[in-house]
Amino acid sequence: MKTQAVIDADAHNYINSIADLLPYMSERWQTYIRSSGMQMPPVSHLPKLYELAARRDAWPPGGGKPGSDPDFMREQLLDAWNIDAAVLNPLVGVSGIRNLDLANAAMRAVNEWVEAVWLSADERWHASITVNAYDAEASAAEVRRAAQNRRFNQVLLLVRSHAPYGRREFRPIFEAAADMDIPVGIHFGGGTGNPITAAGWPSYYIEDHTGMTQAFEAQLISLVCEGVFQSIPSTRVCLIEGGFAWLPALMWRLDKNYRGLRSEVPWLTEFPSEIIRRHFAATTQPMEEPEDPAYLLDIFKMLDCDQFLLFATDYPHWDFDAPDKAIPSVVPDDLRQKIMRGNALKFYEFQNL
Amino acid sequence: MSSRTFDIGPAEAFPIGEPRRVAVNGRALAVVRQPNAIYAARDVCPHQGARLSDGHATGTALPCLPGEEIVFGKIGEILVCPWHGWEYDLRTGRSLIDPEKTRIRTYPARIENGRALVEM
Repeated sequence: MKTQAVIDADAHNYINSIADLLPYMSERWQTYIRSSGMQMPPVSHLPKLYELAARRDAWPPGGGKPGSDPDFMREQLLDAWNIDAAVLNPLVGVSGIRNLDLANAAMRAVNEWVEAVWLSADERWHASITVNAYDAEASAAEVRRAAQNRRFNQVLLLVRSHAPYGRREFRPIFEAAADMDIPVGIHFGGGTGNPITAAGWPSYYIEDHTGMTQAFEAQLISLVCEGVFQSIPSTRVCLIEGGFAWLPALMWRLDKNYRGLRSEVPWLTEFPSEIIRRHFAATTQPMEEPEDPAYLLDIFKMLDCDQFLLFATDYPHWDFDAPDKAIPSVVPDDLRQKIMRGNALKFYEFQNL
Repeated sequence: MSSRTFDIGPAEAFPIGEPRRVAVNGRALAVVRQPNAIYAARDVCPHQGARLSDGHATGTALPCLPGEEIVFGKIGEILVCPWHGWEYDLRTGRSLIDPEKTRIRTYPARIENGRALVEM
């Protein structure tokens, strides 16, 4: 059964290997990669229990990794679910390459590969711009280059970073995004050597996966408290694959602390929760699934911002959210329509919809 | 109801910059004398009831953009709650973070002939 047309704010396309990027790299780096046998660094650390964290049925019948075949992904995601726009977030470990020149070459190669292989394959694909978090100046230049193609409609950062993104070293990336009038997406994953929880290394993927919200909290707090939105008022940030039910409690806590600690961050002249509601959005997947679905309505009420949530599938991952089932039936139709489509239309300003 | 003027003691009973608690007409006030002014406010923080007279009178970091020099201003005009650090402007009673909703009642005060006077 066809569902109403929806927008998918988070889907993943994959390279099969670093070889897919070689056509977009200079002779110097092609030779370097071939002769060294280098592989792309991973964007996560623990075995994910499901290979490549993928749905079992997402392996393309013609071979290759889940998310690597534009035709199969079009059929299994866009056509199957009547998705008329999807934002591709390629999870390539560019920031894990320690050689900055090579990392920057890989960064650009990923974006050129996305443009050549994906954006040209179907106009429903849109994509985030891959950047190198360790080189903000080079990343900013790449954002300004890539975003000339308006179907690149977001900058992609991974939530587990070497330092929180509000710090001034990252400001050029946010300036470039604002200059190109696109949001910055902060996506689940990453890994730079820092322990992946605030209490050190866990043992299991279930801990890794559940504890990711810590990193989202750290990034959100940093972006607000460092004054990114005062320095660059047009900045918009999408929290991708981090959930959202934790946000009301964080807003309460941050507002409370602001009352007593404001003088430390005098650029903040309003409550942090007001800044968060104005500048942030979040994708739905993986939806929190409370024992009583109606609890979600309470969370929506606490968020007090019906433009906040953007539906996402996270295809081809094992925790895929189905467009017709993920948002429980207790959610009223007008809000459901905003979540499934309207909010993303406003947030990403798709040029062709 | 017209206000009355109360003599709350000699000016030197209120050391410059040090909040003092006084009971006036059945109300507890936090009184702060500065070189060119004296302020009086209800001695109760509306948050959790701390005595503001146990806090300190100081200045505050004025609003600025990130990266700009942070200027410490309103010196002597800010009363900070001793418990959770909420800041109040002694001239208006308004809190710095939520001036419309979070405020303390202030009363006109002055020094006359070496005496501290409050109108209530």
